[in-house]
Amino acid sequence: MSTFEFLLQGLLVAAQPMNLLYALIGVTLGTAVGVLPGIGPALTVALLLPVTYRLDPAGSLIMFAGIYYGGMYGGSTTSILLNTPGESSSIVTALEGNKMARAGRGGPALATAAIGSFVAGLIATFGLAFIAPVIVKLALVFGPREYFALMVLAFVTVSSAFGDSTLRGLTSLFIGLALSIIGIDQLTGQTRLAFGVPDLLDGVEVTTLAVAMFAIGETLFIAAQGNTGPDKVEAVKGSVWMNAADWARSWKPWLRGTLIGFPIGAMPAGGAEIGTFLSYATEKRLTKHPEEFGNGAIEGVAGPEAANNASAAGTLVPLLTLGLPTTATAAIMLAGFQQYGLQPGPLLFATNPQLVWGLIASLLIANFMLLVLNLPLVGLWVRLLTIPKPWLYAGILLFATLGTIGANPSVFELGMLLAFGLLGYAMRVFGYPIAPVVVGLILGPLAEQQLRRALAISQGDFTVLFTSPIAAVLLTIAALAFIVPLILRARGKGEVLSQMAAEED
Amino acid sequence: MKHVFIATLLAGSIALPAYAADYTIMAPAAPGGGWDQTARSLQTTMQQEGISKNVQVINVPGAGGTIGLAQFASQQKGNAHALIVGGYVMVGAILTNKAPVTLKDVTPIARLTGENEAIVVPASSPLKSVKDLVEALKKNPGSVSWGGGSAGGVDHITAGLIAKAAGVDPTKINYIAFSGGGEALAAILGAQVTVGISGYGEFEGQVKAGTLRLLATSGEQRIPGTDAPTLKEAGLDVAVQNWRMVAAAPGLTPEQKAAVTADVKKLATSKTWQETLKTKGWQDTYLDGDAFTTQLSKEIAATEAILKDIGLVK
Amino acid sequence: MSQEPLNTQAKERRPEWAAFGIAAILVAIAAVILLDASRLREVSGYSPVGPGTVPMAIGVILLLLAAWTVIAAIRGDFPERERQELPPVIWIVGGLAAQMLLLNIAGFSIATGVLFAATAAGFGKRRLWVSLPVGIVLCLVVWLIFAGLLQLSLPAGPIERLFQ
Repeated sequence: MSTFEFLLQGLLVAAQPMNLLYALIGVTLGTAVGVLPGIGPALTVALLLPVTYRLDPAGSLIMFAGIYYGGMYGGSTTSILLNTPGESSSIVTALEGNKMARAGRGGPALATAAIGSFVAGLIATFGLAFIAPVIVKLALVFGPREYFALMVLAFVTVSSAFGDSTLRGLTSLFIGLALSIIGIDQLTGQTRLAFGVPDLLDGVEVTTLAVAMFAIGETLFIAAQGNTGPDKVEAVKGSVWMNAADWARSWKPWLRGTLIGFPIGAMPAGGAEIGTFLSYATEKRLTKHPEEFGNGAIEGVAGPEAANNASAAGTLVPLLTLGLPTTATAAIMLAGFQQYGLQPGPLLFATNPQLVWGLIASLLIANFMLLVLNLPLVGLWVRLLTIPKPWLYAGILLFATLGTIGANPSVFELGMLLAFGLLGYAMRVFGYPIAPVVVGLILGPLAEQQLRRALAISQGDFTVLFTSPIAAVLLTIAALAFIVPLILRARGKGEVLSQMAAEED
Repeated sequence: MKHVFIATLLAGSIALPAYAADYTIMAPAAPGGGWDQTARSLQTTMQQEGISKNVQVINVPGAGGTIGLAQFASQQKGNAHALIVGGYVMVGAILTNKAPVTLKDVTPIARLTGENEAIVVPASSPLKSVKDLVEALKKNPGSVSWGGGSAGGVDHITAGLIAKAAGVDPTKINYIAFSGGGEALAAILGAQVTVGISGYGEFEGQVKAGTLRLLATSGEQRIPGTDAPTLKEAGLDVAVQNWRMVAAAPGLTPEQKAAVTADVKKLATSKTWQETLKTKGWQDTYLDGDAFTTQLSKEIAATEAILKDIGLVK
Repeated sequence: MSQEPLNTQAKERRPEWAAFGIAAILVAIAAVILLDASRLREVSGYSPVGPGTVPMAIGVILLLLAAWTVIAAIRGDFPERERQELPPVIWIVGGLAAQMLLLNIAGFSIATGVLFAATAAGFGKRRLWVSLPVGIVLCLVVWLIFAGLLQLSLPAGPIERLFQ
């Protein structure tokens, strides 16, 4: 049988009414748990995997695909509506998405996220089916020095999200970097900045920091304004749905986000967050509405959400073609696959085509179900914002802490949540942007470790950092991204740029 | 009236013991890792075999399991229905982190599984055998980069033992720690590092597909289905196994300990568990009672010695 | 990259004491990092960048940022702030602290119910005899869904044990 026939057969099996129902249940469960701040797709899949064991192989595979995509998607809803990122890869979504929701455009924001996720999931799943072997070769060329160059590029481009003051943006970034050193140094096993506290040995959890800084910091800040503001937000201004302009501004970011997210998801040390950062930075540079960035630009939701979901499919590339679990989620899926007698590895596509294509067909169906589930709910979700402020924010804190408790029921973790919440509040008061702290915490350790690995392998020769072609290209792009704005500014176009650097928070 | 009601409620609930034989299993690691998979397999087996009706798995990730261990020892004292999964990695982590809570502070019940370490090179590598590897190490230990899991873990320890057995200064090995098996495997496949070292299961698919060459495995016996020698056969006096175990809470009475051991033994000999071992590719290394306790203290002493040799523990 | 705001009207000529406080905190963080980094053993193996190198660099840059903050404050480049009301902040922080302390003793529903009521109080709904029971019942429902149906491990207290 040819590739297409296998896929068609898989789709036929997956499209049976009972299997469609399983897909819908899977997506619903995945979204329900994935929506909790602090509980990412990994824990979601781990928790819900046993549910699938009771079904027949086809049904269980399809429900599993639903849980995975549901868990990946779930975080964006809370990011947009409540400014509370469900997991690290939907932090960027909160930046523009929540601003849109505040301005009564939560409907279009949710819709562009859902449709963008669908489009990205669709393209990326086809990518998984047809170009996985090529992508995986590219991913394997990436060694420590190439990753280091990629991190440098991410640092430079992401700094465009730093708000209106270079000083305060940099200060925020370095606070994040300072937090990122805490814990055991992976390469030598020594502890740094843990002060003998065992809970600090593993460093600061990204989701704890993000939930604290965004959700709790924001709640404190709003509360401290007193009763000056209106009691509730105007939930819907204009249409709940995307209008023609929204579509026109969304489709390109969806495609670009997919293009960025899919290969980065496929990289063993890429990570879904990096894709969302790069997508956000790209959209900010390419947009025709730079003044809207920081105040709710739809491109800033469409791109990163597409990148996020594309990287979910990207993660499956090394898993299926090499048996290489590159994320915690993938490692759990590996365990799940074994349940179906599917041994991921280099021979999988050859020895087990029915199951592989069954899985890919299931992913396509699950992706579709996600859209079916979420689009009708947009109107309902948006109504959440009409809840009076006291109850709304009480509910936000309930869910923010629920996620943290569920992921790790420790008093210390809650203490960190409180401390970082206060930090987030203080930073808002003094006009420091929040996002760079999280960016520093995520990118800092990656950049440091890859740099040190590269130098250890070369036995201390610094030139290796530039001599690989890929690293050289990435570093050149990074240098251009850094220098070109300086030149433009020097030639008197500074005003345009300072407009572009719209206010963030 | 209301107050009386609430008071009765409170008193009643406090008086209630943590009832029923519902086990709670702590996986002192993030979801997805070996300990998490072990804990969740235990959960499934216990429920299917009717050993316990309702089993919960709690993940407390961090620092090679020492964070979970500390929490377990302090919170579950005397609770005969709390279990924690652990293993060789925990032994090393306790030593390198100078953890205040050690395996002495819990009640080790039994060793459940074991996995041999495998030493591999990319198919394109000029190294064909352990002999080639030893020669390269002797010529310039820095030129041989080892890709494996976290610093001080079982992969690192095995690399150190190999160097020592080959007569090379173990502090001079160029060990590159990666987070998680997947990242290390990618670096080996991409020939970013010279040698790869990790559990055999991580490499099995690649070895069978011919993209990686298996130089040796670390057990006492060869792995069935492979033609690579053990390290001992290759002339290096090294035998390492990455084992996993289950322990109960501290402060149990001898009767309670016996009851837990009986439950675990029933589990380990059940058909469900044996099938799980097969699908996961884990070796059955079940050992309980005094034999396990003796073995455990021997391992701890040996691990401390080699970590000192590598220079990770002073 | 961006520029400092050019809006000169908003500038105040007197130095900002808050900015000096921030600079002092940055110096303190830098000092802690530098001290900690200096005690690390440089067992870096073959990499010239050891475990202490990056922390050192971050510490030094934080010191530079502190100096920059002071200069910016003296030049009056620090943004104005809105007036903050303290009582709501205390209510919410108190709620979070109470949840933290009660969680393992009283269980999820009571601890989080207290947080719920305190947050609502921070936003002006001070009728605790209404919001507290509402919060606890709501949290119990949440507990039943996530711990009961979806197997999430949330601490159980006296109320939750009634449903186990």
